[in-house]
Amino acid sequence: MNSTPSLLNRILLTLLGLVLLAAGLLLVLLATAPAVANWWQSWSPGVWAGINQAFNATRFPGRGESWLWILVALALLLLIGLMVAWIAQQGKGRDNLLAAEYDPGEVPGDVRVGGGVAEQALKHALAGRPDLAGASVTTYSVKGSPALKVRLLPRQGVAPHLLAAEVSGLLSALEAVVGRETPVLIHIAAGARTRFGRAERVR
Amino acid sequence: MSSSVDAGTKQSRTRQSRRSSGQGPDMRRVLHRETHSSRAAVAVVAAVLVIVLAAYGLLEAAVHAIGQPAWLIEPQVAAQRLVELPAGISPLLLAAIGGVVAMAGLVFLLNGILPGRRARHLLPGAGLTAASPAVVVDDEVIASSLARRAQLAANVTPEQVMVVVSQRQVLVNVRPTSGVPVDEGTVLAAIEDELGQMALEPAPSARINVTASGVVGA
Repeated sequence: MNSTPSLLNRILLTLLGLVLLAAGLLLVLLATAPAVANWWQSWSPGVWAGINQAFNATRFPGRGESWLWILVALALLLLIGLMVAWIAQQGKGRDNLLAAEYDPGEVPGDVRVGGGVAEQALKHALAGRPDLAGASVTTYSVKGSPALKVRLLPRQGVAPHLLAAEVSGLLSALEAVVGRETPVLIHIAAGARTRFGRAERVR
Repeated sequence: MSSSVDAGTKQSRTRQSRRSSGQGPDMRRVLHRETHSSRAAVAVVAAVLVIVLAAYGLLEAAVHAIGQPAWLIEPQVAAQRLVELPAGISPLLLAAIGGVVAMAGLVFLLNGILPGRRARHLLPGAGLTAASPAVVVDDEVIASSLARRAQLAANVTPEQVMVVVSQRQVLVNVRPTSGVPVDEGTVLAAIEDELGQMALEPAPSARINVTASGVVGA
C-alpha cells in the first residue's frame, strides 16, 4: 500500500549481496587455494602501483598530500547521502486527504475531506466489537489517488471471511456518507496481541 | 494453476485496468505489493552498513587529506596489506573473515532475488469489482479459524489441534482424546467446508493427520 520502492530495494540488495559475496569468496580462496593466492600476488601489485602513481601525480604543489583524497572524501559523502535518501524512501506514502473535489454549488471553492474522517468513523464503529483485539485505519496516497487501509486484529478463531464481509458493510456506509468511492484494502492480521490474548468464545 | 483459472484472472485484470485507467489505483498491483515483501527492513540494514563503512572511509580520507596521522590505520598501509594478502595473517582467520563476509553477501543476495512471498492469502470475490474492498489475510488468522472449526468437528480441546497453513497446503494435526476415536472424514469435511466458504487465493488443499497416540485426561 505504501510507496516503498520494492524494485529499487531488490536491485540494490542484489548488487550489495553480489559484491560482498565475491569479496568473501575471494578471501576464503586466498586462504585455502594456493593457485588463487599466486594469481592475487601477481595481479594486485600492478593495480596498486597504478593507484599509487595516480596519487603521486596529483600532489598539491609544494605539499606532500594528493588532492585525490578530497575527491575520495567527496565521493564517500555522496554515497552516504544516497544511502540516507534510500532509507528515507522506505515506508513512505501516508496521506491525510480522503477526497478533494471542486464543488459546483453556490459557494465558490473546493471541498476537501480529510483522512481523519474515515479513520475516526471506522475506529469508532469497530471499537466495541468483541471479536477484534484491535483495529487501525490509515489513509495512503497510491500513485496520487487516496486509498484506505483497514488493519484488523481479530481474536483467535474468528472466521476471516465473515469479518471481512461485516467490515465491508461498514465501509459501504462510509462511502455513502463521504459520497465518493475510495479504494479500500482490508488487512486481517495476526500480531502479538492476538497471539497471547484470550480466544473469542461465543459468536 | 490451471489454464481456466489463468484465463479468468487475465480477464479480470483487463477489466480492472480499464477501470483504474480513469481514477483510483490499480488494486491488482496493491494486492501484489501486500502479499510480497517490500524488503524495507533489509534495505535499511544494508544502507546503514554502507553508511558506516563509508563514514569510516570518509574519516580516514579526510584525516589524510589534511595531513594528520590516521585514526585506525593508514590507507596506504591497509592497501599494502591487502596486496600481500595470504601472507601476514593466519589462514584460518582470513578464511573465517571471508566466510562471514560471504554469508552476509548471500543473505542480501537471496533477499534481493527470491520472490519474497509473505505468509498471506487473498480473499477474492472482493477486490476485483470496484465496489467491494480488497481483502488480505495473514495465514495465522486462517489457521486459527480452521483450528477452531476442526476442534468443534473432532470434539476435542483447543490444545489438541494444530493447523499449519502454507501457500498451497493446509495441514491439520489432531491428537484425539484417549479412548474417544476421531473420525478423519468428519474433520476433513468441516475443514473443506470452511475453506470453500473462505475461497482463498491461491486455494490450498487440506490434509488431516490424526495421531496414533491419544491424550489422557483431556
